[in-house]
Amino acid sequence: MKRIFHHPPAPKSERRYWQSPAELADTPDFREALAREFPAGAAELEMDGVTRRSFLKLMGASTALAGLGLAACRRPEHKLLPFVKSSEWTIPGKNLFYASSMPRAGGAIPLIVTTVDGRPIKVDANPEHPASNGGSDMQVQASVLALYDPDRAKNFIRDKEQVQAEIFEKHLEKLLARHEGDGGAGMALLLEESNSPTRERLRKKVLQRFPQAMWAVYEPGGLSGAGAAFGPGVQESYNVANADVILTLDCDLLGTEDASGRYQRDFARRRGVKQDGGGKMNRLYAVENHYTITGGMADHRLRLPASHVGEFTRQLAAELGASAGGLEAAAGVTFPEGWIREAAKDLKAAGGRALVAVGPRQPAAVQRAALAINQALGGLGQTLEGQQSDVEPAATITDLAWQMGVKQVKTLFILGGNPAYNAPADLGWVKLQEAVPETIRLGLNYDETTSVSRWHVPAAHYLESWGDGLAADGSYLAMQPMILPLYDGWSENDLLSMLAGDGHPHGPARVQETFQERSGASGAAFDEAWNELLRTGFQKDSAGAPRALSLSGGRDEGAGNRKPLRPASADAVEVVLVPDYKLGYGSWANVSWLQETPDPVTKMTWDNVALMNQAMADRYEIEAPNGVLGGATAGDIIRIEVAGRSIEMPVLISPGHADHSITVTLGYGRRMIGSVASGSGVDAFPLLLSDSPYILTGAKITKTGGSYPLGVTQDHWSMEGRALIREGSKAKYDEHPEFAQKMWMDAENPDAGMESLYTNPPLDGAEQWGMTVDLNTCTGCNACVVACQAENNIPVVGKTQVMGGREMHWIRLDRYYATREGHEDDPEMISQPMMCQHCENAPCETVCPVNATVHNNEGLNVMAYNRCIGTRYCANNCPFKVRRFNFFDYNSRPIEQMQMGPIKAQGLYFGPLTEKGSPDTVKMQKNPNVTVRMRGVMEKCTFCLQRIEEAKITAKVRAGSSPDIRIPVDVFQVACQQACPSEAIVFGDLMNLDSKVSKLKGDARNYRLLDYLNVKARVSYLARIRNLNPAMPGAHEPAAYMEEEHGSPESHHGPNEPISQPAVEVGA
Amino acid sequence: MANFFPRWTNFLPLKIILCLLILGGTVTAGVWYYFTPKYTRVGYEPNQPQAFPHDVHVAQLGMDCRYCHSFVEVGAHSNVPNTQTCNNCHREGGVLWDSPKLATVRQSVETGQPIPWVQVHKTPDYVYFNHSVHVNRGVSCFSCHGPVNEMKVVSHQKPLSMSFCLDCHRAPENHLRPQSEVFNLAWHPPVDGSGNAIESQREIGLKLKNAWRVNPPQNCSGCHR
Repeated sequence: MKRIFHHPPAPKSERRYWQSPAELADTPDFREALAREFPAGAAELEMDGVTRRSFLKLMGASTALAGLGLAACRRPEHKLLPFVKSSEWTIPGKNLFYASSMPRAGGAIPLIVTTVDGRPIKVDANPEHPASNGGSDMQVQASVLALYDPDRAKNFIRDKEQVQAEIFEKHLEKLLARHEGDGGAGMALLLEESNSPTRERLRKKVLQRFPQAMWAVYEPGGLSGAGAAFGPGVQESYNVANADVILTLDCDLLGTEDASGRYQRDFARRRGVKQDGGGKMNRLYAVENHYTITGGMADHRLRLPASHVGEFTRQLAAELGASAGGLEAAAGVTFPEGWIREAAKDLKAAGGRALVAVGPRQPAAVQRAALAINQALGGLGQTLEGQQSDVEPAATITDLAWQMGVKQVKTLFILGGNPAYNAPADLGWVKLQEAVPETIRLGLNYDETTSVSRWHVPAAHYLESWGDGLAADGSYLAMQPMILPLYDGWSENDLLSMLAGDGHPHGPARVQETFQERSGASGAAFDEAWNELLRTGFQKDSAGAPRALSLSGGRDEGAGNRKPLRPASADAVEVVLVPDYKLGYGSWANVSWLQETPDPVTKMTWDNVALMNQAMADRYEIEAPNGVLGGATAGDIIRIEVAGRSIEMPVLISPGHADHSITVTLGYGRRMIGSVASGSGVDAFPLLLSDSPYILTGAKITKTGGSYPLGVTQDHWSMEGRALIREGSKAKYDEHPEFAQKMWMDAENPDAGMESLYTNPPLDGAEQWGMTVDLNTCTGCNACVVACQAENNIPVVGKTQVMGGREMHWIRLDRYYATREGHEDDPEMISQPMMCQHCENAPCETVCPVNATVHNNEGLNVMAYNRCIGTRYCANNCPFKVRRFNFFDYNSRPIEQMQMGPIKAQGLYFGPLTEKGSPDTVKMQKNPNVTVRMRGVMEKCTFCLQRIEEAKITAKVRAGSSPDIRIPVDVFQVACQQACPSEAIVFGDLMNLDSKVSKLKGDARNYRLLDYLNVKARVSYLARIRNLNPAMPGAHEPAAYMEEEHGSPESHHGPNEPISQPAVEVGA
Repeated sequence: MANFFPRWTNFLPLKIILCLLILGGTVTAGVWYYFTPKYTRVGYEPNQPQAFPHDVHVAQLGMDCRYCHSFVEVGAHSNVPNTQTCNNCHREGGVLWDSPKLATVRQSVETGQPIPWVQVHKTPDYVYFNHSVHVNRGVSCFSCHGPVNEMKVVSHQKPLSMSFCLDCHRAPENHLRPQSEVFNLAWHPPVDGSGNAIESQREIGLKLKNAWRVNPPQNCSGCHR
């Protein structure tokens, strides 16, 4: 007799949580898909063209061959190759940490790089740096894979042929000698944005040698802020920590802003409901056209086409009595009654501790108006700070293009960047560049710009180069190489120093000179300071004092320069171009980890889409992906036409998107970079114009009739609306702090009548590990997902496999939309990281026939990979759906094979008959302390077992002949915790009452998932608290499933009733 | 009645028996092999590219294990020495520099290429053995590697199988010794004048186990990650 467990029905509530439109509509397809262990296809062999019979034949033949060959009878002889000479600090197999920094447009990021045997394997932010808590983001985590990208540029290229480095050097010398004669006339350099003092110093030297040369800088996305609104060289940044009330205007403050990591941390620290410092919980209002993670964190969100934000800002300024500059009223734009009034009131009430943040996409006039609002609110110097930048202004790419257009440029150096891909389309960059006789390009990959350049110089990755940079707070950071350049690449400073006539000295000499100037030390004192710089990664107290801000000092270039935006309406929709959360503006396109990470909001992998809301899709009769799982998820393709340019791309319906507005992410559709990015997404840069770049109005949409399969994971492993997400308003929390513990099935005494049928081994370890995740601060930014992938050797599976539901990420970030009835198009959003919950009564363990998954005495649910025979019973019995099965030996397959998918002849399904082996460089990234799992093995979150064991071993080694083997409290962090910029994930020893995690477990907001199953999860969540402003239109209590509101649901079982009952007899 | 069975079936029973015998024999041999120390490589004694008589260096000259295996107390791996380490004594004008037996070392010094030592002791890939935690907590090299101090050529002495590890993890008292004697491979529990043990290994081990709170992991997670 088979027992079927009946979960209590989802309670009736006004509020529903759902992940996709299909789940909301509860379609039959969705119901069917839900009942499966894995999404359709994930657990099946579906092959086109190969019958089951011929497959068995092939398998038989290959097995027989393997037997006859007797290849595996003798153990292979292993060689041990020690160094010939000792290498400083290197202990074989032991991690060695270096401080360095990662260059980035908005300020370098201080880093700690983990190296083992001379290979960098993991990158994290430097927690010692004052402007960091060690939290990083997806790109920081994935940058180590960019170092090992097998498609990196490996050779010098001249006219598409490989040449020796010496040939280039000789040519360069000749070229420079010629230009020395004419003072650099006709010479131009195009660089990426950077605040590196060494680069700035070399720039002066280069321009001294070639005074006529043009120095241009291009970074897609442009700078945030109004462009020198506060005077020349003043860069404003937000001090989120000081803000009690924040309003974002088309600004992804916590997501894609230059200093988002810091903003996220400061925001999260002010999100605590119990404030230690006496401050109060902050409140966030977001005005945006598409859902961002900032919008997801907002207490109140207004969806508004980006072209309406200007009018919103004007009315807000009027409400607050601030000058709106040159903003003119836009006709026909309306806002919900009272929204602006109440938000303005709240901002004003904050008494200077208010912040209005405006996104870089908005026209300069809107940005200036927003800054004026901040001034009127009294936020200057408090929530809005300024730094004086030493970087001299440079020419823009438009200036350069003009010079090239009139044939004034004879020699063009392009250092980094990729203008042939991402320059505004109206410049016609490719044609311009082809007309320049001498183009020299320094780049990490052979890309679109390489293909139109005469010379290509392979660039050194930042982990291979000496350099420096300034952090977002202005402090001086060192950048040091972790490894010699893998392909003898040159750093940007190497090439600049050649141009400056310094030769290209390897080593730190150039940076040392800069540091000498900055530190003023010399001789032995300098050596000491230099070593200290390299040891800590930054110069202490080098952040400049904040500069006093005043709007009157800056020039007003706003209003006239940009055309006012035409408000989006039914006959003239707007297209908003945004950087991709994962690929940015495309430079990360060949990093497979990022391609496969689901977007924080849309849950798209491997492609970009045009986002629109349901109402708009209905208007154009666009069939959205209907949520059917297993390869069938597809979006209709539309043609977007703006100002005579058009692109075609698939649509994904995004709940909460503004009407008459389409959002398109940039960074995809790379034509040339490498095997990972090929075929991924659509290039939206052809829509980009140089005057009003990122918000395009008056677009025309037509349906092409085609459709395109999408690797969207939003429905994978859905959890049927049980009370997994718990949230309430601040008011509710103040009234009933423990409301989250009394919801739904936990309304009654949860421990009554709960006995396990199984006897578990005793939990008698000295440490007991546990974790809490704070839903109140988790933004869903995905840093943990990529950090986990880097730490735990998690393979990439490719788009086809993702569509089949076979992604391998150990952390799944569930993104839920929450709606009340009748408001389905305007949901709230909440993210929940879901990893192995390490249940004390683990359902997976009882069904494993070979004891491959068992409990240890410290409360960990452990996997013995070498025991696993791949029955997948455990995954079937896991109530959280967090187990991942390695179907195709993804770790030892080249990425091309996975991209091909099952249908192609060389695809994964032909297992033993196809080429195996991943590139050596990719293997170099693997963490040697974690097993690289093979095919046919189940895997899941281990709570970073390697780090736990390392801590235990360290404690025991230190103890030596003494009994003191206790691990110091919170002495190590797990990878996701370490990466989390908002400190939402906390891991530690539950037996130690001083540990952070045991304190949080006692928090009133703490709740465990599916407690009524008596699984006793070791991971628990802290309920989300929304700091609502009751006066705002649409404010409503989010706490659903409340006992006192809905009564004790009749469908629930009494405490003494068995919650599992024989239901249906199958067979007999 | 015609012959129902064709002629060739006459020998069929014999053939079947023969096949079964071969099959049975193979399975028996396989299982037999699996249970012998041979399977666990006990006795494996590969030729090294450079002869290194441990008996001469340790037993005769009294060198400490840690002179060459220098990171055994701090790292998971017990490292094989650099050529530089050999070169410290066997240097130009030093000990036996011109000896033909040291040709490989000289070559390595000249070319900068490492000496390709053949690995003798090896745990499977999925086993994460840590030397430092063992040698710092009273487990001698001897327990897993045998009397290396007396070996001319290093050979595999102990099975290093999972049951071998678990035997000690379940009863560490059989191997624990005072911290000062960990690298003394010739150590034995003290005896009195007539050769009788004053204190047995077990007694010493139990004392140390309690004093140091030695509690080796017996979970999968102790060694498999």
